[in-house]
Amino acid sequence: MDGRSILRGIIIVLLLWTHHDASLLAQDDGRRDVQQTSGRMRRLGEVVAWGRRPMKEIGVQKTQLDSAALKENIALSMADVLTFNSSIFVKSYGRATLSTVAFRGTSPSHTQVTWNGMRINNPMLGMTDFSTIPSYFIDNASLLHGTSSVNETGGGLGGLVKLGTTADIPDGWHAQYVQGVGSFKTFDEFARVAYGSKHWKSSTRFVYSSSPNDYKYTNHDKKVNIYDPEGQLIGSYHPKERNRSGSYKDMHLLQELYYDNLRGDRLGLNAWLIRSNRELPMLTVDYGNALDFENRQRETTFRSVLSWDHVKSNWKLSAKGGYIHTWMAYDYRRDIGNGQMASMTRSRSRVNTIYGQVEGDYNPSRHWYFTANLSAHQHFVRSEDKNVILQDGNKAIVGYDKGRIELSGYVSAKWQPSERIGLSAVIREEMFGDRWAPVTPAFFVDGLISRTGNLSFKASVSRNFKFPTLNDLYFLPGGNPNLRNEEGFSYDAGLNFTVGKPEVYSLSGSATWFDSYIDDWIIWLPTTKGFFSPRNLKKVHAYGVELKANLGLQPFKGWFLDLNGSYSWTPSINRGEQMSAADQSVGKQLPYVPRHSASLTGRLSWRSWGFLYKWVWYSRRFTMSSNDISLTGNLPSYFMSNIAIDKSFSFKPLDLSLKLAVNNLFNEDYLSVLSRPMPGINFEFFVSITPKFSR
Amino acid sequence: MKRGFRFFVLLCGLCVAVTACMDQDYGESEDFSTGGHGLFIMNEGNFMYGNASLSYYDPATGVVENEVFLRANGQKLGDVAQSMTMYGGLAWLVVNNSHVVFAINPETFKIVGQIENLTSPRYIHFVSPTKAYITQLWDNRIFVVNPRTYQITGYIQVPDMTMESGSTEQMVQYGKYVYCNCWSYQNRIIKIDTETDRVVDQLEIGIQPTSLCLDRYGRMWTVTDGGYEDSPYGYEAPSMYCIDAESFAVVKQFKFRLGDRPSEIQLNATADTLYWLNNDVWRMDVTAQRVPVRPFIEERGTIYYGLTVSPYDSNVYVADAIDYQQPGKIYRFSADGQLQDEFYVGVIPGAYCWK
Repeated sequence: MDGRSILRGIIIVLLLWTHHDASLLAQDDGRRDVQQTSGRMRRLGEVVAWGRRPMKEIGVQKTQLDSAALKENIALSMADVLTFNSSIFVKSYGRATLSTVAFRGTSPSHTQVTWNGMRINNPMLGMTDFSTIPSYFIDNASLLHGTSSVNETGGGLGGLVKLGTTADIPDGWHAQYVQGVGSFKTFDEFARVAYGSKHWKSSTRFVYSSSPNDYKYTNHDKKVNIYDPEGQLIGSYHPKERNRSGSYKDMHLLQELYYDNLRGDRLGLNAWLIRSNRELPMLTVDYGNALDFENRQRETTFRSVLSWDHVKSNWKLSAKGGYIHTWMAYDYRRDIGNGQMASMTRSRSRVNTIYGQVEGDYNPSRHWYFTANLSAHQHFVRSEDKNVILQDGNKAIVGYDKGRIELSGYVSAKWQPSERIGLSAVIREEMFGDRWAPVTPAFFVDGLISRTGNLSFKASVSRNFKFPTLNDLYFLPGGNPNLRNEEGFSYDAGLNFTVGKPEVYSLSGSATWFDSYIDDWIIWLPTTKGFFSPRNLKKVHAYGVELKANLGLQPFKGWFLDLNGSYSWTPSINRGEQMSAADQSVGKQLPYVPRHSASLTGRLSWRSWGFLYKWVWYSRRFTMSSNDISLTGNLPSYFMSNIAIDKSFSFKPLDLSLKLAVNNLFNEDYLSVLSRPMPGINFEFFVSITPKFSR
Repeated sequence: MKRGFRFFVLLCGLCVAVTACMDQDYGESEDFSTGGHGLFIMNEGNFMYGNASLSYYDPATGVVENEVFLRANGQKLGDVAQSMTMYGGLAWLVVNNSHVVFAINPETFKIVGQIENLTSPRYIHFVSPTKAYITQLWDNRIFVVNPRTYQITGYIQVPDMTMESGSTEQMVQYGKYVYCNCWSYQNRIIKIDTETDRVVDQLEIGIQPTSLCLDRYGRMWTVTDGGYEDSPYGYEAPSMYCIDAESFAVVKQFKFRLGDRPSEIQLNATADTLYWLNNDVWRMDVTAQRVPVRPFIEERGTIYYGLTVSPYDSNVYVADAIDYQQPGKIYRFSADGQLQDEFYVGVIPGAYCWK
């Protein structure tokens, strides 16, 4: 973005909350320039409000996650960050257990996820487990809601979560080590070494987290009766139990290398290795002995992206290549006596994905901007689900071995005839395997309504398609090769504003209305043969409102407050035909989609002290498609509050910071998913050491 | 600094103000006292949701009570309610993915005992007041338990079966032998000597026999599902088999079409008429030589899931699980196929038990 496009210039100087244990790096995506300096609270430069909207994002509904939220503490996954810093629904099966996210009343498989431009959704399941993405590995995270995802990828009927790393490494050597020790014998370790020079930048990050994760909880699903000596019942209580079989050990290693010839060519290499070994916790209604059963999932994933950008004054060309390897193992075993563990289920899957992408941007004048993009993902999947003995006595494996090429092409033209209005037209075309989706068009518009308050509007409309996943098509038993694509049509419109007074406050906010229709929604249903099979069944109408607000305040000299809030109202209604005369689900909210959700994050700082408060609320979630609220299927609404307090010290050779995080501050008994207990109040203490190298 | 600190305290106060507790308790236990005959409906619930439930229907009054296990005991039934059997004045509820069998008083629905730590229990069969067999999925053993002490007392090892491909299902007893169909990736009926608790014989039939019953003439009936397309174990047209219990040999075989999905074979009160599901509800005399051309009750725009025949009046009860994510509906038909009553129960009504 060049100086010509600055309409208003600098409007305010905001608080700056530096997270001493946060990243070493600065991040600049055009909105907020956060220069980290370890150890000290420091007002940072100015926050620049670009009165002219970026042409590349005309009409785009985007939530940019604050880098302070991403680098809050090393124990957080992206699931934790999204829970408290966005309005999208995070469905968590427990601590360090599967966590999926869904936008605007859609399903987790309708959320596309990219990392440095490469799609990382599991091609077998379609979804992404956000509990396996440490937030400390992400420098830049944004959400593209609904229609806006078409600018980046297809298939995001709900939206896109865009994750990436950045090359903003200051010159010289940098290092940081953080150690966390928490409740339930939880240990988190993070180390980073980085080097920057005029041409080269390198960064190595490492995270290791482990815990038996055996937190105590009150099991409301069981009851213990108390009898008198005559055998008469005299009382009962819900037992205190431990989260059984919930241990985990996760290791992540991320290497980045960047080269800039300072003549417009940039090369980047990102390589991320994950080794995860997690037990799957037992349900609250399980009466098995935890010592007799082992339910374990192991994963090794390697993701790498090699990128080249060639940037000139009014055009840009970039190319990317990538590779993903994922090996997943699921073992369900039981002790059959004398400690001998026998395998009940032994499933293995291997996914290899090769990725390539070319993209060009051309900005011939200040009024026009053209973009074209072509990407390819080639998946090779081998899924082994079960070992069986055949009728002739030989052995065989139940599973599938398939490959699929996924091509996606995109062209867009953006026109900004005046400073007040911008228009964008997008066409995307996709092919998965040998199937072509119809052309996906999208239109975006935005405009400045009033310079007072920087009041602007945005609107967009698009069609979108999502192809069935490989499991949908080929899983044995039950895969259905005759499935149709899920098809979506959505539009949204919203208003944004920004006001402020230098050195005092800044306030920005947005309100967006969205409306989408999804046909041929795929759901897996049981069959009379005892297994599940997917079918194109539902028609869903999801609509609602998203509100976001940010307040930066300097209430007193030396005190800074930053508040971020969001709220979503997301009716997601089944508009399909009755499955039978008895069907009571038509016109009802989809299961596990909260109608209301809200989050709030407040950061308060004074000198080298910091205080963080996070709050989230989800309304009741139905577990039945008929929206019956029974005793058995009931997930009441809940509030969750976390806090953290930190203090930083600066010494000559190093900066040191100490932080105490308290999760579930009010020790609530709560569930995100039926029969999956969540931990009560728990603590983690962090020590961060940042050596000061001479430059 | 002072003002700032007050500001901080005020903010902390606000934090406390926006909290509330999740109401998760199920309240007080209810007292039930049912008399006479009645029908228990085991609602499987969704796998891994822990939302199985028990319903009770009084055919005389037409009154249905849902979630009676939870309401009577203040605790959940569990995950995947599989089957239920009456024995010794108690009702025995097999809850598959909770690894438990509950014994309840069938009048009050109160728990009187439970057998825990089972692998993946499917059905229970009582050999005597002190011995019962519990079949399993994902285990090559049938568990032997003492119903008086609720303890596991031993195992019956099933030959030619690994843990991973283990599957033993429904049981019937003829003399001192218990017969059991082996279903998932299996094709046989096994014969167990109840004196030695050993498998003494086995009979190979079609792919994946799903259910088993014994008619008044000492002949067992089972129906296979034929497996599924692309299964390495094989895929074939399903069949219904009539097996003589004495000689342990197939007497008759009735073949269905490839792709048919017969299941839930049942007998009426006098054990001389067969009922089963195959999209529609079918009925056939046990002495018949051919499967009827037309169904007994035609499907009503849905896939029927569970079936039972009243031992008291031969009324037929069939379940509609609808989308498997909402309370299912039970349709009650008279012995001549006329709709008598209909009522909603719990999620995925899959098994029945008569009191």
